[in-house]
Amino acid sequence: MILSQLVISGVATGMLYALIALSMTVGYRATTVVNFGHGDIVMMGAYAMLFLAVGVGMPFPLALALAASGLFLFGFLMQRGLMAPIIAGPHLSLAIMALAVGYALRGVARIEWGNDILLLPRPYAQNAFLLGPVVITMDDLVITGSVLLLLLLLFVVFNVTRIGKVIQAVFQTQRGAQLVGINVPAFHCIMWGAGTTLGTAGGVLLALIVPLTPDMGVWTLVRGFAAMTLGGFGSLHGAVIGGVLLGLMEKLLGFYVSTVFIDISGYLITILVLLIRPQGLFGQHATLRV
Amino acid sequence: MAALLEVSDITVRFGGLTAVDRVSFGLEPGQICALIGPNGAGKTTLFNAIAGNAVIEGGRIVFRGSEIQGLTPHEISARGIRRTFQTGGLFGHLTALENVLVGLHTEIASDFFGLLLGSRRSHQAEVAATARARDLLALMDIAALADHPADALSGGQQRMVEIVRALATNPPLLLLDEPAVGLAPAARDKLTQIIRRLARETNLGILLIEHAIELVMDVSDRVIVLNDGKKVADAPPAAVRADKAVLEAYLGHA
Amino acid sequence: MQRSASDGAARAVVSRRVLWIVPILLLPLPLLLNPYQQYVINLVLVYVPVAIGFNVVVGNLGLLAFSNVAFFGIGAYTAGILMVRLGLPWWVAVPPAALMGAVAGCAASVPALRGVRLFYLAIMTLAFGELMRWVYIRWIPVTGGSFGMALPPPDLFGWSLDSEAGKFYVFLGLVLVAIIATDRILRSRFGRAFVAIKSDELAAAAMGVPTNRYITLGFAWGGAVVGVGGAMYAALIGHLSPPAFDLTELILEFAIIMVGGLGSLVGSVIGAVIITAAPEFFHELPGYQELLFGILIVLVILFLPRGLASLLARAHPLFRDRYDRG
Repeated sequence: MILSQLVISGVATGMLYALIALSMTVGYRATTVVNFGHGDIVMMGAYAMLFLAVGVGMPFPLALALAASGLFLFGFLMQRGLMAPIIAGPHLSLAIMALAVGYALRGVARIEWGNDILLLPRPYAQNAFLLGPVVITMDDLVITGSVLLLLLLLFVVFNVTRIGKVIQAVFQTQRGAQLVGINVPAFHCIMWGAGTTLGTAGGVLLALIVPLTPDMGVWTLVRGFAAMTLGGFGSLHGAVIGGVLLGLMEKLLGFYVSTVFIDISGYLITILVLLIRPQGLFGQHATLRV
Repeated sequence: MAALLEVSDITVRFGGLTAVDRVSFGLEPGQICALIGPNGAGKTTLFNAIAGNAVIEGGRIVFRGSEIQGLTPHEISARGIRRTFQTGGLFGHLTALENVLVGLHTEIASDFFGLLLGSRRSHQAEVAATARARDLLALMDIAALADHPADALSGGQQRMVEIVRALATNPPLLLLDEPAVGLAPAARDKLTQIIRRLARETNLGILLIEHAIELVMDVSDRVIVLNDGKKVADAPPAAVRADKAVLEAYLGHA
Repeated sequence: MQRSASDGAARAVVSRRVLWIVPILLLPLPLLLNPYQQYVINLVLVYVPVAIGFNVVVGNLGLLAFSNVAFFGIGAYTAGILMVRLGLPWWVAVPPAALMGAVAGCAASVPALRGVRLFYLAIMTLAFGELMRWVYIRWIPVTGGSFGMALPPPDLFGWSLDSEAGKFYVFLGLVLVAIIATDRILRSRFGRAFVAIKSDELAAAAMGVPTNRYITLGFAWGGAVVGVGGAMYAALIGHLSPPAFDLTELILEFAIIMVGGLGSLVGSVIGAVIITAAPEFFHELPGYQELLFGILIVLVILFLPRGLASLLARAHPLFRDRYDRG
């Protein structure tokens, strides 16, 4: 009984990790640059939502749409103005650039909202259902449902639409894409923005269940990395499966072995996977050297 | 004469592709041997196998009487096989002089804790090595380049510094990977002279990958032709020029 | 031509001695400053070795390692634990702090030896740093957990260092040792091998440089120097707690070496001077420091990628580091 309860809440948490890992993967696959500021962008998405829905008092769907477009623009401009000029430079500059952008965002959040503990009011009643002996909360359902819906949407976009097929093709070979006339820098900007938009969705879902703090980005980033690493860096479905597995692992190891695993599963997975099987479960890179 | 290098039945595979297929040859001291063949014939892979940069599936490589297959690149280098690279082999962040000093790395007798504690012996070793590196550059008439950052040098200058660096320890065997690429005709002539002089005067064995066919015919004592990972010819330049299999190798891929 | 080049080198050696004037001029500083100002100067001195060690790994060896805060924390906690749990005097705890920093450096180099590079190495070492912070929080009997650990006043050979001035002179001595020792290494075949590995690992190995051994060596030396910085931090602050070693601290340390100049000792020192003092001005304004540092790093990467040290080097050859001309 306890086991199925743990699995349910593990999957719900894991879905959230999956979405965050997926949002990081989209930007990474397009640019091959890891966004070390992504955790703070997720944080910013959550605060933007909170500001629009509570501060301004907009209806929930409108606030969500505005927050997502705002963060898309932010991601687009970040890639365009800050990452693109140094994209051929050392990896160090790229990593620190994104880290610094995230750091500045954290400063903005602290100046604006740092003194209060803020929770996004749920736009639904906080019910729970009994499925036999297992409790399923409305939060679990909303998170799992929203992420599944987004995944379905992405699946359709990537595999059915023309644009999706073009994106997949560019993921495969950027030089080839350039040859057939695709504007690769613009593609980078759009996909980076798509990543921050998906990250915003993750931030909003996260804001439903945990109080917001300007420092939540680190927590988010580490779990996103762990899920990506476990699934195989750069693999879209790997990110999703890695996220769900990480959520399950935290809950199961946390209950049956020791509560410390709730905190450290992410770190341990990242370190062990990169040491033992760097390509993760579904990654294509057999080696990490350039 | 005892062979300097004896390669027997070397095979290197990448996944399903056999990049080097049971290749055997030997090299004498003072001999210049060119490796030619179409792109993808396995020339650079063979170099990598000798230098320890590729995993060898079968065969033996004997250098000066001892087997070296399976050793790491720095161990092979320390035994006296030095190489240059097709592109970008110099350390761009260092000066020409410092590049040569890295070439001397294994011969500088300074130790870590000696340097930390300021030992005179370690300091002297560094000073002596610096003087020697300057002399080596002067021997090739490029002393003036010593304090220039390597990535500020022209292609021809970089190639000369790379050769000085590779030869800093007086190795018995030098592997040159397309040394004439990107060189102006004058620099190419100078390179030809230097290769010849080195082999004649210092008894250096040279293994050379080169696409510039005139240079190959001009400078080498022997030419080995590779095609699809296999050795298809191994003869003096004049004989290779007339060889049918060689023509096929090139025309077949043209 | 050759003659003039070596003359130039000789001149550089002579004039470098001029730099000794800097620590000598600093000697009367405690007479001029109030204790708080002296504390800020001491904090700057703490961050000089922290930056130097970091810069060896990131700037000279060229590895994208985010483990520096782990070395810093391990040095600080080693000193703190030895002082509080074993009652050792501070100066006795400094060498073990350096040693543990070096051990942590060796451990952090393991993924790099297995071929993990670039972003992957960054992510892995980031996880290592966060894991260490979790250890400080959870190993309560030893580290004091989230509440941290109050330390007794530091001393040197039984001579108490509870005044800021006393700490200043001891710190100045340690900083000079760190600078001189690191300078000697970076100017030797070891330092050249580090930069060679950064430029081209394959070519370095082809020149007989055992690259893996040197990667470990660079990490170990960096870790040891940063570990000493950690012990100095413990002596200065007198209290250790986990939040001091989080990702924010990592960004502060990155700001120091990026603004100062990657791969440059001069840069490490300038960066520590400029960046370390700044947070002291932001105590009353949470958030503004993060915002301004974030923007500062962005601007440096875009417009001054070699840091302030490159400006100084252009202004006068005295400040030209010879081990990396990037």
